[in-house]
Amino acid sequence: MAISLNKMNQPQDVVYEQFEDLAQQQETYVIGMWAFLVTEVMFFGVMFMSYVVYRWKYQPYFYALHQELDWRIGGINTFILLLSSFSVALAVHFHQKKKKMQTLACLGFTNLCALAFLVIKMLFEYIPKWNHGHYPGPGFTWDNPNIPGNIAQLWYSLYFGTTGLHGLHVLIGIILFSVLMFMIAVDHPAITDYLPTEMLGLYWHFVDIVWIFLYPLYYLMPK
Amino acid sequence: MSEHASHAHDHSHHITPFFTLVKTLMLLAVLMVVTIAWAQIAPEALKGVPPAMASLINNLIAMGIAFVKAVAVIMIFMGVKYQSHVVKTYAALGFVWFLMMFIMFADYGTRHWESVRGWTPETKQMALPRADEPFEPGMPPRKDIHIPDQHH
Amino acid sequence: MTTQVATEEKNYLQEGHTLASWLLTKDHKRIAVLYLISVSFFFLVGSIAAMMVRLELTSPRGVLMSNETYNKAFTAHGAVMIFFFLLVAIPAVFGNFLIPIMIGARDLAFPRLNLLSWYFYMAGGTMFLIAMMSGGVDAGWTFYTPLSSIYSNGQITLALVAAFVSGFSSIFTGVNFIATIHKMRAPGMTWWRLPLYVWSHYAASLIIILGTPVVAITLLLVVFERVAKIGIFSPELGGDPVLFQHMFWFYSHPAVYIMVLPGMAVISEVMACFSRNKVFGYKFVALSSLGIAALGFIVWGHHMFVSSQSMYQGIVFSFTSFLVAVPSAIKVFNWSLTMYKGSVWLASPMIYALGFIGLFTVGGLTGLYLASTGTDVHVTATYFVVAHFHYVMVGGTLLAFLAALHFWWPKMFGVLYPEAIAKWNALLVFIGFNLTFLPQFVVGYLGMPRRYHYYYFAPEFQVYHVMSTLGASALAISLITPAFYLTYSLFKGPKAPPNPWAAKGLEWEACASPPIKHNFHGVPVVVGDVYDYDAEAEERALRGLPPKETH
Repeated sequence: MAISLNKMNQPQDVVYEQFEDLAQQQETYVIGMWAFLVTEVMFFGVMFMSYVVYRWKYQPYFYALHQELDWRIGGINTFILLLSSFSVALAVHFHQKKKKMQTLACLGFTNLCALAFLVIKMLFEYIPKWNHGHYPGPGFTWDNPNIPGNIAQLWYSLYFGTTGLHGLHVLIGIILFSVLMFMIAVDHPAITDYLPTEMLGLYWHFVDIVWIFLYPLYYLMPK
Repeated sequence: MSEHASHAHDHSHHITPFFTLVKTLMLLAVLMVVTIAWAQIAPEALKGVPPAMASLINNLIAMGIAFVKAVAVIMIFMGVKYQSHVVKTYAALGFVWFLMMFIMFADYGTRHWESVRGWTPETKQMALPRADEPFEPGMPPRKDIHIPDQHH
Repeated sequence: MTTQVATEEKNYLQEGHTLASWLLTKDHKRIAVLYLISVSFFFLVGSIAAMMVRLELTSPRGVLMSNETYNKAFTAHGAVMIFFFLLVAIPAVFGNFLIPIMIGARDLAFPRLNLLSWYFYMAGGTMFLIAMMSGGVDAGWTFYTPLSSIYSNGQITLALVAAFVSGFSSIFTGVNFIATIHKMRAPGMTWWRLPLYVWSHYAASLIIILGTPVVAITLLLVVFERVAKIGIFSPELGGDPVLFQHMFWFYSHPAVYIMVLPGMAVISEVMACFSRNKVFGYKFVALSSLGIAALGFIVWGHHMFVSSQSMYQGIVFSFTSFLVAVPSAIKVFNWSLTMYKGSVWLASPMIYALGFIGLFTVGGLTGLYLASTGTDVHVTATYFVVAHFHYVMVGGTLLAFLAALHFWWPKMFGVLYPEAIAKWNALLVFIGFNLTFLPQFVVGYLGMPRRYHYYYFAPEFQVYHVMSTLGASALAISLITPAFYLTYSLFKGPKAPPNPWAAKGLEWEACASPPIKHNFHGVPVVVGDVYDYDAEAEERALRGLPPKETH
């Protein structure tokens, strides 16, 4: 079977057997996805809550510790995630219009952004911090006399825990987007409408929202 | 079935226009620049303000901007604006329920109001004392408990 | 609604007999049966651990096990029963089976997600079994830090991951129920015509999606602390172990309502059917489910009255805990009033349901003692607490599970079980249960601490413990018996008619026993109210009186 890049060749607008019609099916999926995103909000809520509790307890130390992060790198990553969020919204837009080429291009750009986000995070934040011994555990090294080492370790625990979980979500996003792109590209019969793109898009926007709150909290506010 | 039958016009086919998406992206970028810019000038701008107040102002501005950004993403990019009330409710639910966790600040805020033997608020310490710290101010450090030194 | 039922058509049990047709099924009814088998297995595992605990406590000196083995036994009992039986049993078995049928849908909204949730459950359960057998877990089901993060040995990490994975199984079920109840209702099935069963499951699903992720990530943070030294709760780093308790109970108190709300769902159905009466105050019972779900989230601190939580916060939590008793009480009163002027029929599900009301009331009222900060300090971590939550969990959820099993067994498998044995067995469950846990109130109040494997300091407690162990043995017998007669009925039982209890509701009136693959022929249209029973007409028919004259 020849695969065209300009036309979607799979069966379109299929209604699964448990649903009555397409409209019902689509809204059910959206509600289900949002119910899942509620769990994601509570999931990250715990990380944010722990952060708030400890920053409130150790305010001066935490303010000083935040100087460890470079707002420029965080800012670049913020912008990258905003762009990727935009391009996912665009991918849904094009998928709704059944424009295969544009959908794939937007999803590809999103994946590129996500990859760039992780690379920047690794190269400019995680690896330098690791090399300085700034990671929680027995190998933790700390030479700032103004901040107790254990508080610094707690702060790094929160930083690595929160951004690590966020990074994990980005990684999952990359994998899922790659699968989706492949399935769209080869006209996989499971992609019967734009909903898979929309569902993944909702997930990705959520990842962006987490970063929208994470960035000012960790990189900006204490200044 | 009953639900959508009552919805004569279904919104799930709504296609968000291209320029709406572009405008939203621009709004988000502008807000990002504003929040970064404020963070850079805040120490200068809030020089005379008491630290507690300055901290509060900074928090409110940064979180306020983040909130607006999140709402923009949810409403336009995620298309909640064009969805039914059920979806809108669920979109808000998680964020509202997260605030429930702040009830625990009633604990952290008042934990040291009670006087506990060997531990007084006068030490001005927010956390419980470490095990090797003196029981009372002025007492010698405890030698019977060993905690590995974190200060290298 | 239509009642015609084609008898020659294949039911869902006959749609394929291979193992693959079961393990890869997307039919909500088959997944419910898979869940029924697996929760029964885990219930057996948890019960064996419970019997080990009870046997050990017959002697004041603790002669059977070392204290470490005992810790592992009660942890296994608690964790398996909570994570792999109570949280799952009613929603995943009966919720799965009945919610689509009750609202007139062909299946749940996301059948593949439903199957995935069963695999997650099995993966979590298997991991926990491996953890138990390859070293055991001794931190208690609560996994309090720093005990679980620093001091405890054994397979805590694996057990925590198991709880995390099974949490996702719950989340998938909750998401599925919410989407299904919102969007899949049959024409005419408005919110105020929904059976109370569906209302309660909706409330429980809300708690699942709002609470489960919180405990999942909290347990994951303990895993991080054990594996990668990311010590957010570590006191060594200035972290606060009480924060773990806050996060843990933020979920785990509402989790009590995840366990008991589906139980209440069952009781509403059973009370209406066997009183041949409308549920009294339908709207109040429906809304009290949502009230419980909401209020349940602001009471968690009553688990932490003695754990360095602020006294002032304790007072607030004490007040809210009293408050949450109100919606539960509304339900109990309304069920009792459902029987008033009804035509009560003491079939085995009804005996379980009446047992539920009695035991749940005792559990709830003793909960008020524990919600008062002063009394709680006296009985914290004693057998009083143990007895209290067993009255709620076992007396509530387990009895409701048994009631549901007996009530819907003819619907699920199309066979009738021997009712006489079932009735006597229901009575034995009630007696055995009370013999087990009533003495624990007394011995707890007298000062017997929980989680101790001996009590040589107070040998006079032995009589209570022996009573309790005897009761537990009776309970064990009465819980094994249904396994035998229900299995027997599968092969030798008489064939059940579509509606053996003459009950109301789509699952009885518009659906065969067992149901066909897509539950209904076509889409049922609902007219008229739910629980449309007429007690007086039935009572007249029973006594051979002519129908009441109408004006």
